[in-house]
Amino acid sequence: MSTIDDLAKLPPPAPPALSALLEAELAQLAPVATRRPLRQLAVLLAVSLIYGAGFIAVLTMRRNLHELPMGWLTSVGLLWLAGFVVPLYLATVPRPGAVAPRWRLAGITSVIAAVGFIGLGLALHPGEAVPLAVGWSNLPRGYGCLELGLATAIVPIVLGAIFLRGALPVGSRWAAAALGAGGGSLGGLMLHLHCPVTDGVHVGLVHGGVVGVAALLAAAVVPRAVD
Amino acid sequence: MADAKDLMQRYCDGDAGAFRELYALVAPRLLGYLLKMARERALADDLLQQTFLKVHRARAAYVRGADPLPWIYAIAHRTFIDETRKHKRAVVRVGDSDELPEVVAGLTGESADQRDEVRGDPALLGAALDALAELPAQQREAVVLTKLDGKSIAEAAEIAGTTSGAMKVRAHRGYEALRKLLGRAPARPASKASAGGEP
Repeated sequence: MSTIDDLAKLPPPAPPALSALLEAELAQLAPVATRRPLRQLAVLLAVSLIYGAGFIAVLTMRRNLHELPMGWLTSVGLLWLAGFVVPLYLATVPRPGAVAPRWRLAGITSVIAAVGFIGLGLALHPGEAVPLAVGWSNLPRGYGCLELGLATAIVPIVLGAIFLRGALPVGSRWAAAALGAGGGSLGGLMLHLHCPVTDGVHVGLVHGGVVGVAALLAAAVVPRAVD
Repeated sequence: MADAKDLMQRYCDGDAGAFRELYALVAPRLLGYLLKMARERALADDLLQQTFLKVHRARAAYVRGADPLPWIYAIAHRTFIDETRKHKRAVVRVGDSDELPEVVAGLTGESADQRDEVRGDPALLGAALDALAELPAQQREAVVLTKLDGKSIAEAAEIAGTTSGAMKVRAHRGYEALRKLLGRAPARPASKASAGGEP
């Protein structure tokens, strides 16, 4: 369509002079420390893990730790750790040569983590098969675990939001969801090491649910702080 | 002239001259994009200033060695979306075809008395702009970024905050809609600068 081609060939318009506000800002321009994503990620992971470890130190490890299959304990613990690291990595570290992090991938990862941990918790648990009705009736008692998990998730979410300020003109909601999912997974890891309940409904819907709830809350709140 | 990456790094190091060079390098293209989206020169100028103010305030979020252009374009995109939402402003459209050459001249930064220098037939270009303005905002942006600004589908998707697949669909639908609109555009008097073989 040659009319559109002609339109594409038009020389760009002459921009206006800088506004008085911008000139005033430039008059007092100072050097800034630019974002260093890998360093930020390292700080985010370290501070969050120390905070999570502090929680466990205060709350004590689960009392049935030595009665549980070591394979399950380790593999599920590693899954929680991966659920913590991967979304935070994608939400904070851009691909080489880009300024904005990979918010789309981060968002997809947060959905996978939220759904995956609920499903895995329901399917893979060392507890005896509890009738579903009993599991459901015990569910309201999981409120304490949900609170603890969300309290653990706060640090990675807040720290991530501080690090991402201004970096995400688009996709901030998805990146925020990933921060929430990462924080929720740290909460899940903390509950994995602290909460002695082993039935699938509790592990799946409460411990796994922490990831989804943290992701939703972060997606709702964090973009206001990041933009 | 230094590239955007070097200028952005020097600017973050506190070099105000680098910011001015960056503005001179990026602002014309960015203004062209904003003007095609907003269709009002005063609004586009305002959005441009707002975009650079946001870039300035968020400069600490820049990652050294990265290309700042997609990020700056994304800030412009977001600024346009926020502004149109804030004012619930329908994109201004030119209703009187007599004004079209002035719109084309405004788009190139040339004054009305310089309109003979505008490449292509101003009436046809005006009709194309008019048709562009009739497209839904997302399709218009896809056409502007991919067909007029020469961005790749992936770059355009990154700027608009969508997937490459969605951007491809928007660009295709927008282009098809534009073809239909131009196909039914009333015949305009040809000028001496008219390009041949128009649809």
